[in-house]
Amino acid sequence: MKRKFFMLVMAGILAASVITGCGNKEQESKSETSTEASGNEELVFVNYRDIRDLNPHLYAGEMYAQEMLYETLVNITESGYEGCIAESWEISEDGKTYTFQIRDGITFSDGEVCDAYAVKANFDAIIENKDRHTWLEMMNLLKGVSAPDEKTFVIELSEPYYPMLTELGVTRPFAMISPKAMKDGSTKDGVNEYIGTGAYVLTDFVTDEYAVFEVNENYWGEKPEIKKITVKVIPDNQTRIMALEKGEIDLIFGKNMIDADAVNKYIDSEDFKVALSDPTSTRQIVLNTSNEILKDKEVRQAIQHATNKEAISEGIFYGLEKPADTLFAETVPYCDIDLQPYVYAAEQAEQMLDEAGWVKGTGGVREKDGKKMELSLLYNSDSVTEKTIAEYLQSEYDKLGISLNISGEEEQSYRDKMKAGTFDMVFNICWGTPYDPQSSLAAMRQPVYGDYAAQLGLDDKAEIDAAITEILTSTDEAKRQELYTFVLTRLHEDAVYIPLTYECNKAIYRSDLEGMHFTQTQYEVPFYDMYFE
Amino acid sequence: MKQYIMKRILLTIPLLICISFVCFVFINLIPSDPAEVALRVRQVPVITDEAIAEVREELGLDKPYLVRYAGWVADCLRGDFGISYTNPSRTVAGELARCLPATLQLAGTSLILVILLSLPIGFLCAVYRNSWFDKIIRMLVFMTTAMPAYWIGLLLMWLVAIKLDLLPTSGSGTFSHLILPAVTVSFTYISTYIRLIRNNMLENMKQDYVLYANVRGIPQKKILIGHILRNSLHTCFVAIGMSIPQLIAGTIVVENVFAWPGLGTLCITSIFNRDYPVIQTYVLLIGVLFVVFNLIFDILQTVADPRLRKEAS
Repeated sequence: MKRKFFMLVMAGILAASVITGCGNKEQESKSETSTEASGNEELVFVNYRDIRDLNPHLYAGEMYAQEMLYETLVNITESGYEGCIAESWEISEDGKTYTFQIRDGITFSDGEVCDAYAVKANFDAIIENKDRHTWLEMMNLLKGVSAPDEKTFVIELSEPYYPMLTELGVTRPFAMISPKAMKDGSTKDGVNEYIGTGAYVLTDFVTDEYAVFEVNENYWGEKPEIKKITVKVIPDNQTRIMALEKGEIDLIFGKNMIDADAVNKYIDSEDFKVALSDPTSTRQIVLNTSNEILKDKEVRQAIQHATNKEAISEGIFYGLEKPADTLFAETVPYCDIDLQPYVYAAEQAEQMLDEAGWVKGTGGVREKDGKKMELSLLYNSDSVTEKTIAEYLQSEYDKLGISLNISGEEEQSYRDKMKAGTFDMVFNICWGTPYDPQSSLAAMRQPVYGDYAAQLGLDDKAEIDAAITEILTSTDEAKRQELYTFVLTRLHEDAVYIPLTYECNKAIYRSDLEGMHFTQTQYEVPFYDMYFE
Repeated sequence: MKQYIMKRILLTIPLLICISFVCFVFINLIPSDPAEVALRVRQVPVITDEAIAEVREELGLDKPYLVRYAGWVADCLRGDFGISYTNPSRTVAGELARCLPATLQLAGTSLILVILLSLPIGFLCAVYRNSWFDKIIRMLVFMTTAMPAYWIGLLLMWLVAIKLDLLPTSGSGTFSHLILPAVTVSFTYISTYIRLIRNNMLENMKQDYVLYANVRGIPQKKILIGHILRNSLHTCFVAIGMSIPQLIAGTIVVENVFAWPGLGTLCITSIFNRDYPVIQTYVLLIGVLFVVFNLIFDILQTVADPRLRKEAS
């Protein structure tokens, strides 16, 4: 009796699961047609977080989305600057006055005309919040803006400043929003709507779920092939890959959106393509030249030779981040100069340390005048990669008689310590394209980042700073290259930075998606060039 | 009875004050300057001292500690939990209100699954103890209790969404999106409750009243369902009371894996963005939920159980 009852229950459970299983399948096959990613003019993109506040004059929105909606006066391209909202421009001979001719027939997606007056309104709103933007040197040099007529827009600087067009061309803050979307002509406390002149308009979004961009029917330029882009929010790395595999998304793009395992998995796949960009930024260790041990240039150079970047690139990044020889990659403007890289040579490093007076003492740790060679390496405890590299270096340096203490700190205190200069060695990543090299170098002159503190022990610090200032205001191309060569060579020979690897953008996408490439701005996803075969 | 309920409610007040204070203190113990964090969260590339001073004033951080605590509690009581650092145009209350329904939907579905599955399985395990069915279930229970939820989630996603192609991998919107996350969340709880029900029933089976019922010739079915199961459910009832806030809080990891736009995803994003006001309010909310559900189920149980009722009065 008991047995019979039991069998009956089991049969019931089995039947129920079969029925519900089939039911789901049927339901799914129906809904799949509507949620499927494909379609020739529709693309499903993915990001790990929401688009957030897309106010173009502030910094809290996702840059790829701002790039889709808004445009700037000029664009930064591989071959130099290109007109965008400004059709052409003239720079006065003293380099202080920029006169832009605004392109005809540009309207914002709400129908407002984008003329010089609208541009002026945007600049007024940005200048109203000047303090937030002073990280861009041009904000400090800005004397005034004016719109003498509807076609002409003028910017006046107190001094010439060569990266001016780059700063005007980056995603923010100099992107144009419809004056109608501003709150009484102001944007610093938010905007009413996200209305720009870009190739796409934001048609729908649900916070933390998705955002839909559709082609701007009034776009002045060539309209993109992809008419509709849906951006799904999927925070988890693994889930993104599974969604791609299932066809729910078409493209994954970004520096930290894909791990090495996934790239290696799809590199030979027929259904998906993998792309890696040129270096976008450099992962490096900064040496504090004020430190008792590290103030000696010989020691710093020895540590450079003791660092095996190839092993880090291969062992930790599976070759995805190439080993870095110099502070900035050769592909960065002005940085293709002839610098002799510090090659990995443990024996040479040992010899150099011996010569510098640091000889191996008890316990295998080097000593000089009774002082042990003990250094600390600070890393951001949120970063697993930095921790792994730190542990690797700890064991490597130990073999050479350098005792390395590694300490991870929460991001904010890690930054605080960098700023205060209370570190021996610290991990850092440079600003990246298109801010390199000019903004990275400019920031070295002020005690805002670790660079300033780290360089304080250099005898030629004042000279380097003066040269950087001169670079920014020089109007002569050859002179500028000469100065860059000087600064970069000095920093290289002073061995302040141990370049480790070059970060790059990575993308995995459906194999029938064409036109996927990387641009000069690392946060931009060039949807406008993409199409399905 | 009324007196007892009043007493219980009054007793929660110091508890709530403690929770709010701990929430406030913990967030303020973080060594970084919240003003600087706020600026960093808003991705201001270079942070100047003037900008920090400006934000500090904007956030009221220039006032003394206790004044800020008192102000915060007073604001919370009015339902004003502050403004999100990440997006100054959004209030924390608005963010929570936006995410709460999705989490409740997920937690609710999971709770129904837990009850629907663990009750019959636990019951059968007890009735047919040591049969192969019981042994298999016990093995499964053992395994699923030990497996972390995100892993179960990813395995299910791989199996059901990719290999069998039955359901979408992630996201929300339709009922089919809800199935995988709900099953994942309920897995651990189902195991716990199967064990709880099974063990309780086995305990009860040894009681004298079962022997007397058998002696009186009451049908087996009636003894099992009407007496043993009923008596076994008391502890489950209390456990469910605690499980509801646990389910709401415990969806964090699963929501993140399945990109489910609920409180968990909000909390994880806020942690990554160091959006302190949101984290603070989330912790407070979950703390209050535990206290409230504990209170409700305590009272309900006292009302339902004559023995406890007698004790209370």
